[in-house]
Amino acid sequence: MSGLRGKIAIVGIGEVPTGRFPDTAAIYHGIESAKLAIRDAGITKDQIDYVMPTAALYSPPFNTELVTCRIVEELGLKHCKKNCQVFAGGASGSCGLQMAGALIATGAAAYVLYVHADRLGTGVSAQGGIDLFSTAGISAEWEVPYGQHYSAIAALTTTRYKYETGCKDEQLASVCVSNRKWAALNPNAFFRKPLTIEEVMASKMLSTPLRAKMSNMLFDGGSAFVVTSAERAKDLPNKPVYVLGEGGLVTHFVFSQEPDLCRFGWAEAARQAFEEAGLTPKEIDVAEIYDSYPVYQLIGFEELGLCERGEGGGIFLRGETWPGGRLPCTTDGGMLSKGHIGAGGGVSLLVEAARQLMGKAGARQVPNATFAVETGTGGTYMDAQVTILGTEIP
Amino acid sequence: MEMPKKPVPIVNPWARPFWEAARKGQLVIQRCQDCKKHIFYPRICCPHCFSDRVEWVEASGKGRIYSYTVVENNAPSAFIRDMPYVIAIVKLEEGVQMLTNIVGCDPHQVRCEMPVQVTFEKLDEEFTLPKFRPSIG
Repeated sequence: MSGLRGKIAIVGIGEVPTGRFPDTAAIYHGIESAKLAIRDAGITKDQIDYVMPTAALYSPPFNTELVTCRIVEELGLKHCKKNCQVFAGGASGSCGLQMAGALIATGAAAYVLYVHADRLGTGVSAQGGIDLFSTAGISAEWEVPYGQHYSAIAALTTTRYKYETGCKDEQLASVCVSNRKWAALNPNAFFRKPLTIEEVMASKMLSTPLRAKMSNMLFDGGSAFVVTSAERAKDLPNKPVYVLGEGGLVTHFVFSQEPDLCRFGWAEAARQAFEEAGLTPKEIDVAEIYDSYPVYQLIGFEELGLCERGEGGGIFLRGETWPGGRLPCTTDGGMLSKGHIGAGGGVSLLVEAARQLMGKAGARQVPNATFAVETGTGGTYMDAQVTILGTEIP
Repeated sequence: MEMPKKPVPIVNPWARPFWEAARKGQLVIQRCQDCKKHIFYPRICCPHCFSDRVEWVEASGKGRIYSYTVVENNAPSAFIRDMPYVIAIVKLEEGVQMLTNIVGCDPHQVRCEMPVQVTFEKLDEEFTLPKFRPSIG
């Protein structure tokens, strides 16, 4: 429950392509995304009075630059009162939107710029990425000594999810296929060639039953959005994307302490968000579900109430989530096909939800999209964050 | 290529009794003297009822596999030579869950809900890790 229902809106969005850009400084992804978002909002740069750069993981010195106001200076924001980092791993976008909204609703800020930039594709080596994600967010006392890492974490969820629901590997692979169909329509996505279930199933086994093409890959990239009050949003060029409802639940720090390895806190977070929005899952036009691995997209989809538990695999396999399908899901291609850019994986999904509702999604535009649900989760799926957005206040 | 050394647990002071017991081949967990619930990993106060009265007790060492995976590729550097190895979450009879490795069997024979019992593997002079193997009989 955010208390923000209909009070605040996303009014501008910006994003740079996701990919490998060895000659591009990480800060560029942030400055360019922020510039695009401010211009898209139809405001002047000096109207931004609060900047929230989320954290970058590839290099502590780069993150320090974000903390010490480099974005503000590079863009020449003359009336920026505060530059303050808001970071919750993959839930950063969801949490940042709520914090920005709360500041706006109380009058502490007028126009908040939320921005992400990172360089996990070219800033770290492939093995360096594996090693980073065998320690970041993983308990140094209780899990690192056992060889824990993020593929294994996703595999632990997948094993149990298959055991409880009877989900088949082909159904998990179909989530990757669905996201790829959307990515093919997204010029900012890295993987755009068609993908088949057979190709996913033939890819290298990482941690059983998780295969290489069921795994996200790390890239460079960035995105940004501008938030203001619903009042101010009325006079701006974009269709305002109102926050209608929000819900969240933190369920663990150490992964093995998660009480329900294949449900997490999604049902409770969704209950709060839908209740505040005054909507039901049936009224959602587009779902941007956090997809670092296919099992998490299925669990999110099901626990939000978009279908019954255990039915998600069949829905993705039948193409109901594909372009032109009944319930479009993760329409920018997500981390599985657009590419994982760190905390920005979640920021991108929020930006995509706003883009769809503004009617600016180009070839992948979902017709007449009025209500969207977006999810974010950080660390080892430590929390469940659900945001409902809409261009109408029901 | 020289393999990096295995990471050792970064120990919180209040968890030291756990690691001292493991070195002697014992699995100990905490129990709350007020709400009587078992606690893992070690805390400074009970995560159930917030009491400060937590004590150490020896665990049965028996449990079931909640979930597991066989790591076949893309392991962290220090674990590359161990592949294939099994990572599992074991739920002990006392109700607590812990991450571990399953040893002493073919990795591909491991299943959800398989009964397991604790065994100990020496990491170095200071640390011994509790691991689990399939229960006999």
